[in-house]
Amino acid sequence: MALKKKGERLMNITKNREENKLTVTVEGKIDSVTAPEFEEFIKENIDGVTELTLDLSSLDYISSAGLRVLLLTQKRMNAQGTMKVTNVNETVSEIFEVTGFSDILTIG
Amino acid sequence: MPEKSVREMNKYERLRYSLASRTFHTAVGGAMILGIVALIIGLGWYAYSYSSQLIKGAFGVTKNAQQIISKVVDPTSLGHDVMDLYRSVPEETRGDGDDAGYLSLYDSFTTREDYVQILSILKDFRDSSTVSDVYYAMYDEETGMLVYFADPDEDEDTVCPTGFFETATKKELNTFLNWNGKKTPYYIEKTDRYGWICTTGISVNNADGSIAGFILADVTLKEVGSGMLKFLLQYGISMFVLINLVAIFMTRHMKKKLVQPINKIAEAAEAYLKDKKDGVGVTDHFSKLNINTGDEVENLALIMADMETDLADYEDDLTRVAAEKERISIELSLATRIQADMLPNIFPAFPDRSEFDVFASMKPAKEVGGDFYDFFLIDEDHLGLVMADVSGKGVPAALFMMVSKILVQNIAMSGKSPAEVIKTINDQICANNREEMFVTVWFGVLDLRDGTLRAVNAGHEYPILKKPGGDFELVKDIHGFVVGGFASSKYREYELKLDPGAKLFLYTDGVTEASNVDSVLFGTGRTLEVLNNNKDAGPETVVQSVNNAISEFCGSAPQFDDITLMCLEYFGKGNTEMKEITVEAKIENIPEVTDFVNGELEKLECSLKAQMQIDVAIDELLGNIARYAYGGSGGNATVQIRAKEEPKAVELTFIDGGTPYDPLKKDDPDISLGADEREVGGLGIFLVKKTMDDMKYEYKDGQNRLTVTKLL
Repeated sequence: MALKKKGERLMNITKNREENKLTVTVEGKIDSVTAPEFEEFIKENIDGVTELTLDLSSLDYISSAGLRVLLLTQKRMNAQGTMKVTNVNETVSEIFEVTGFSDILTIG
Repeated sequence: MPEKSVREMNKYERLRYSLASRTFHTAVGGAMILGIVALIIGLGWYAYSYSSQLIKGAFGVTKNAQQIISKVVDPTSLGHDVMDLYRSVPEETRGDGDDAGYLSLYDSFTTREDYVQILSILKDFRDSSTVSDVYYAMYDEETGMLVYFADPDEDEDTVCPTGFFETATKKELNTFLNWNGKKTPYYIEKTDRYGWICTTGISVNNADGSIAGFILADVTLKEVGSGMLKFLLQYGISMFVLINLVAIFMTRHMKKKLVQPINKIAEAAEAYLKDKKDGVGVTDHFSKLNINTGDEVENLALIMADMETDLADYEDDLTRVAAEKERISIELSLATRIQADMLPNIFPAFPDRSEFDVFASMKPAKEVGGDFYDFFLIDEDHLGLVMADVSGKGVPAALFMMVSKILVQNIAMSGKSPAEVIKTINDQICANNREEMFVTVWFGVLDLRDGTLRAVNAGHEYPILKKPGGDFELVKDIHGFVVGGFASSKYREYELKLDPGAKLFLYTDGVTEASNVDSVLFGTGRTLEVLNNNKDAGPETVVQSVNNAISEFCGSAPQFDDITLMCLEYFGKGNTEMKEITVEAKIENIPEVTDFVNGELEKLECSLKAQMQIDVAIDELLGNIARYAYGGSGGNATVQIRAKEEPKAVELTFIDGGTPYDPLKKDDPDISLGADEREVGGLGIFLVKKTMDDMKYEYKDGQNRLTVTKLL
């Protein structure tokens, strides 16, 4: 994986919705700068979703600002369905481990 | 004895066990015993004298009766005649002695003139005296019977008519038969008829001196008994009254002479204690007692009064001494602070200098110490290092230490060579050193450009050096004489080369000579061992580790000498250039900083993972500064980056001018909670703590400085 170069877009989000199922793919990083955008995206797309999958295969890292959004999303999904996080890389996995998020999230 | 102490007793129990009540009981009890013994003796004496008086009276009656009878008639003929008849009657006819038929044999005697006269005289004597009966009878030795001749008794039940006989033993009558004319003859018996009676009497003799009969008198002892009862009653009542009077008197006396004075002393003691608790200084509770009993109680009161005065004086002294001590203690703690402030004690000491890091500590054994360390930049490229130990301890050593410290720095700042510096100081101190104080000094000057160290050792411990990649080892350097010893001492200096990553450890003998409770010294061996166990750590950790090891080793043993340590790490020049970036503290400026740092990290061939973690740390720490540091009004944030060797690491310092805030003091979040209980936020610092290898915070010059180190 190459290092991101200056000026490159920091985060890219794509979605795939099939009825009640929503798959969100996040590329780049979720940090203080990008977390608000990520939060906004989830808010706009989560209504009526009962099965949410977050594909993090191309996520470089996530900071506490991003963890905050993940926690809010998990709380929301606990109320209306299920949520799964997939394809977590080593750096992100370690962050989940250290912060106890690996116990909160369903990682598959 | 009471089961509980006098303190636990109520009012009535106290009264019961009081001295007065004990005195009363003792007096009553003693008098009772005395009274009973006296009563027994008195009763015995009474009974004896009363009955002997009765007996003597009765004997007199019989004696007088015998004399009168002998003058009027010849009583012997009646006696002989009755006895003759008695002996002539066969035993079977006699019967029990009260048979009417037998007694009728004697009817003729009752009309005889001598019988009538004898009976009349006996009757007169009986009526005119206290005896219950007086009669004329004879003892018949052959039959062992007492045969009656004449008995004036008028009671039909108890009268003994002439010829009547009853059993009498020789033993009973022996007193009469063998009477020698002295003492009163009598015998006492208990009879069914009369109860206790005493019989006394006198013989009536024939002309030839043989006994013809006895005039006998019976005295009942009933009156002795009733007299005794009366005596007992009178004696008892008067005794009871007397005993109580004596007891009351004794109790009153005791109360006045003993109990009241003791109570007064106790009250005074109580009042004294209360005053002492309330902090009253001078009291006169005991002195004003005025007890004049002239005995031990008065003595006790006087001693207590003396004690009161002496204690007041003693307290006065004590208060003065305590105040003096307090003053000295305050001055000493002030001196401790002044001394501590004399030594450079703010770390990091040279945050702007990347060529070296230094840390030191001084723990005085007493309030103030004689050890000192010092480090100072002589010029841009030269660092002066001092480790010294003044002879002695406490205030004198501290005063000498202050002088030495100022001299060393002042003279070193002149730029002279270390040997010249020490020589100058030695000459100055020796010029006026009547107290023969001296100081051991290790002084070195490090050239920060190339790591050349020029040093002089004036009687101090060997320095300890760690070369990059090697172990801490003693440097057996050239020693000169102590400073202050001889006026013209010469000092030779030597040179050491510190390569980047080298560490120099300096100390005083308080380290190696620290001893535990068994008087075992900490020693150079243990010092080297602790150093080598921490050989990759920075100067602060090295110094703290040695301090901790000494504390652990010494345990509860008191610290005898000042313990002073200093550690310098040399990084070298150029190799650790610092780069920094300053931005306005805003979220949107974080990527600019991240890009800048990433650019530096690339030069250091940083692993991708470490870089990601550093990026996260930047996001967290700068994010916090942007959100909270300036509380709405804007400000700048600076990030410095330094590369480190030995071990290879990168150091990032985040600086802001906002509200002082130490994020390291924040509690870690509870990461074991489930999603619904978890708080949003608070994870940032925790994440940085977990992914970085070291974090330090300081607030200096109005700036928050948070330094994180990541090993590469």
